[in-house]
Amino acid sequence: MRKTLISLAAGLSMLALPAFADGVVDVSQARKDISADAAGKTFSIATVVKVDGIAWFDRMRDGVKQFGEDTGHDVWQVGPSQADAAAQVQLIENLIAQGVDAICVVPFSVEAVEPVLQKARDRGIVVIAHEASNLKNADYVLEAFDNKAYGAKLMEVLGESMGGKGKYLATVGSLTSQSQNEWIDGAIAYQKEHFPDMSLATERLETYDDANTDYNRLSEALTTYPDVTGIVGGPMPTSAGAGRLIAERGLKDKVFFSGTGLPSVAGKYLQDGDIQYIQFWDPAVAAYAMNTLAVMALTDKKDEIKAGLNLGLKGYESLTTPAGASPNLLYGQGWVGVTKDNMADYNF
Amino acid sequence: MAEPLIELRAVTKRFPGMKALDGVDFQIFPAEIVCLAGENGSGKSTLIKIVSGVYDFDEGELLVDGKPVADFGPRAAIAAGIQVIYQDFSLFPSLTVAENLALNRLLSEGRTFVDPKRRRQLGAEALARLDVAIDLDATVGTLSTADRQIVAIARALMSDTRLLIMDEPTTALTGREVDRLFAIVREIQAKGIAVLFVSHKMREMLEISERITVFRNGRKVEEGPTGEFNEARITRAMTGHDIGHERHVWAGDDTEAPRLSVRGLSAGETVRGVDLDLHKGEIVGLSGLLGSGRTELAMALFGMEPHTGEIRLDGTPLRLASVQDAVAAGIAYVPEDRLSEGLFMRQPIARNVIASAIGRATRGPFLDGDRLNALAEQTVSDMRIATPDIDKHAGQLSGGNQQRVVIGRWLLTNPKVLILNGPTVGVDVGSKAEIHRRIRELAASTGLAVLMISDDVPELIQNCNRILLMHRGEIVDRLDARSVEEDDIHGRLKGLR
Amino acid sequence: MTAVSKLLRRSETAVLAILIVVMLVIGVINPAFWQADNLFNLLRANVVIGIMALSVLTVMISGGIDVSFPAFAVAAMYLTVIAMNAAGYQGVVLPFIGATLIGLLCGLANAFFIHTFRMIPLIVTLGSASVVRGLLLGLVGTSIINIDRMPPSLIAFGSSTVDIGGSKLSLMIFIYLGIAVLMWLFLTRTMAGRAVFAYGDDAESAKRVGFNTRRTVYLVYGLAGALAGFAGLLHSSMIWLANPRDFVGYELDVIAAVVLGGASIFGGRGSVFGTILGVFMLTLIKNSLIIMRIDNTWQGVVVGCVIVIATALTAWRDRKALV
Repeated sequence: MRKTLISLAAGLSMLALPAFADGVVDVSQARKDISADAAGKTFSIATVVKVDGIAWFDRMRDGVKQFGEDTGHDVWQVGPSQADAAAQVQLIENLIAQGVDAICVVPFSVEAVEPVLQKARDRGIVVIAHEASNLKNADYVLEAFDNKAYGAKLMEVLGESMGGKGKYLATVGSLTSQSQNEWIDGAIAYQKEHFPDMSLATERLETYDDANTDYNRLSEALTTYPDVTGIVGGPMPTSAGAGRLIAERGLKDKVFFSGTGLPSVAGKYLQDGDIQYIQFWDPAVAAYAMNTLAVMALTDKKDEIKAGLNLGLKGYESLTTPAGASPNLLYGQGWVGVTKDNMADYNF
Repeated sequence: MAEPLIELRAVTKRFPGMKALDGVDFQIFPAEIVCLAGENGSGKSTLIKIVSGVYDFDEGELLVDGKPVADFGPRAAIAAGIQVIYQDFSLFPSLTVAENLALNRLLSEGRTFVDPKRRRQLGAEALARLDVAIDLDATVGTLSTADRQIVAIARALMSDTRLLIMDEPTTALTGREVDRLFAIVREIQAKGIAVLFVSHKMREMLEISERITVFRNGRKVEEGPTGEFNEARITRAMTGHDIGHERHVWAGDDTEAPRLSVRGLSAGETVRGVDLDLHKGEIVGLSGLLGSGRTELAMALFGMEPHTGEIRLDGTPLRLASVQDAVAAGIAYVPEDRLSEGLFMRQPIARNVIASAIGRATRGPFLDGDRLNALAEQTVSDMRIATPDIDKHAGQLSGGNQQRVVIGRWLLTNPKVLILNGPTVGVDVGSKAEIHRRIRELAASTGLAVLMISDDVPELIQNCNRILLMHRGEIVDRLDARSVEEDDIHGRLKGLR
Repeated sequence: MTAVSKLLRRSETAVLAILIVVMLVIGVINPAFWQADNLFNLLRANVVIGIMALSVLTVMISGGIDVSFPAFAVAAMYLTVIAMNAAGYQGVVLPFIGATLIGLLCGLANAFFIHTFRMIPLIVTLGSASVVRGLLLGLVGTSIINIDRMPPSLIAFGSSTVDIGGSKLSLMIFIYLGIAVLMWLFLTRTMAGRAVFAYGDDAESAKRVGFNTRRTVYLVYGLAGALAGFAGLLHSSMIWLANPRDFVGYELDVIAAVVLGGASIFGGRGSVFGTILGVFMLTLIKNSLIIMRIDNTWQGVVVGCVIVIATALTAWRDRKALV
């Protein structure tokens, strides 16, 4: 029962846009040396996303558009109409045939896109990837943050809510979802180090990015493991599914939640105290950052692309490379944490 | 005599390129049983469809109770009390007997809701009228053909029926079931209802009907009280010429080693220790009641039924574990139900003909179109299959021609033994004679040994030199066809019940 | 035939027996299965899939197949919620009538193509599903309506419960059962319902007997669409959000449940009670994998095996009954 990829931030609606009348990304500090004028050439850069038409990637498209307007490069975003690895590969094939200068890609399946990305690089096309830290065939992999650090942050909040003891559950959209599993890895590692009295009740639950499946799986797990008092959520829909479960079953203050979520999806539950903490990042900024990196790679600024690079975007001021990882893997610190107290600051 | 219930006056019905009915006068009186005889295409189906309002006609007049009716459609026919039982019965196999019976009434009453009690009661009444016992709650799909037919008759009689038309009602029935059907038909007649029968089987026509009308080429050629007819007269009227009743004369020598020799053949409980010899050129008839084991015996000889015992072909012992074994040994089998077991209805004649002898039309691994067509053409002419070309689908042929395709197909494999199960079921009389003649010729000229399984006693007497009767898995009678009379065999068969 | 042996011959009996065995097995593996909270949640999970299954049942009895109901459900749900938001309307009855009507219209469109052009239902419904989903996403919107914009009246309705021994049973169960009873009455006690069976059994005979087959086709597909539309909005009100990409993959689950419940894909056979059991069987298996502590990687295998075995058992039993 594979649900359509809902991914994150499905609540990012068009209604939220007027707040960013001048563009969705804060570019007051952005690099000025990457515009078409500065480069002396207009590059064509395509951003390929997992699936077209969902809110998360709609917002990413806004970032791409803004980049185009700000810099004058020929940039656009494409994605398959159904979340499907083969369809995404086909789109990349088409882009190679068109002869674009660079491809920014958010792979649906890392394994599936490796060969076609290798082909792209063989043709001299610059490849920048996002949400794919284990991808080999890319010039640079830019992650909004270190996945383990993101997960550790979720656990830090959950552990405090649970008072440092008790059992918890963890969810992922799919067991093959690289980044979500790394978040949970990071969360579990943080728990082992800082909250030794806590433990994971059972293996992570697979919820297919569907809030109703989250609800059913979590409900079932709570029946099976009645002493569970916490939930750490990987996929966005868990915040809605867990929130509804806690609200409906009256489990407020008995079961705590910390996980990926947006104010529009889970704000109501945050407000009512059913859940405690949600965390997200802004795809528009990530897209802007990927395209910036692509232009830098195309304009002989490769030497600058390394740990410590400042892209001039919030959360991407000082990129890092994890110890032992390949130097083309770059992390920002681009996450945003929301609690009941600061949720009013975010209107999407 | 009273006024006719329904009367046609000089009715002509044209189809593109032909006259299906040509100036036909026809009457049916209340409470009489009329038989309609004629070969396929003679116009009898067209007549039924006109009487039941399905077809319009081009010239002439139709009168109900002596009054001319214009615009005689299906509804008018039903209103006049005319009901047709089609060969497929038009029943609902997944619904219960009671519901099948009650649906018409409930529909005509224009009900919105269904009362299960009333439904059951209507069903019970309908069956009671025919004085038969069938489980009202059984789904029709689980009933035997005979019971389904009775349900169909009972349903037709639910409304104020005055004329019941039955299209080939005995085709799929066994002898005993035919007797039961006739008893029911006489009962219907006793209630004042007229019955119009369409049949191929002359014995049955002569037995049940009071009046016989024979059609040929769209015209009524003979009509009269049944007492004035015999089989020869009907046949002559239907075909326009005499069909000689030659018998099969076997000139072989029964001291010679038999072509097929079977000793102690058993297949489960259905065939028990059968001994059987077929000599070259012999046609041996096999009859018996349904369930006597005759079909199982044939299936065992064709490798379709696990069996024990000894089978020798020209002295060589055979192991028949599969159809392939049997075909390889030179045994051919033409099944009873050519629709489901023999023919590919949506495939052209040529492909149907070649299906069992595909090796003869190939070059290397590929099918050779020219050779295939040549073989097909040869079969079409050998078997005298009436078709404009070999690309016509088997489903478009008449029953007799379909049967010839199946037989012709097996002859292409050059068999040594041919087993025919009900070779002329549903085949009209002219066509039947052709098939018989062809089988006899083959046996005489090629030394083919034929085992002919049939319920049709005259067919066996005409074509076989020996006739075997089977009962409860054993052969109980071995008769010389030259010296045996039809009634004798009927008597013996009845005695087996 | 005695009443008992008749009962044993019914295909529902076989499904029920398998169901009880499966429940006992799960209960042995983990006694927590029998907790009221868990059972109530199971029942709840039956509601939407169950109503959809009843819609598919009708189509399958008529000898057709419908793969468009998830698309119709999603369209009815999403359009209704958007309309409610646009109008600022807070109510329940009118929106459900609206969603049902949207489904009905879509279903009648199916019937139009199937009847007028004698098209194969599978092709028609595949096409209409694609068109409806495409139009919805292309013209109406792609973003999920989350709890922050869901009409509170719908949420309140979908979360109404009755307290039984400290556990909350969703009242939606009773809506499902109510619809099931109505469908049962329709299929077994009305001429229109019997027409569906007759049409599915033998369309030509149904015409000869005098059924209005055109009306039957429109009724079957219209009803299927209406039920799907209703189920769609109910789903949304029960999960407190409206996702325009929801119900993907429901076609197979629901058709599997209906077949599991003894309906024939060739038409003419099927029952409301069997379908309810089939749906329960499917949700039971799908929602008891964690309770049975089955490893993630084996869950798909277990679901597939149970469905195949259960269907094979019923089919085998049916074949024996016919012999």
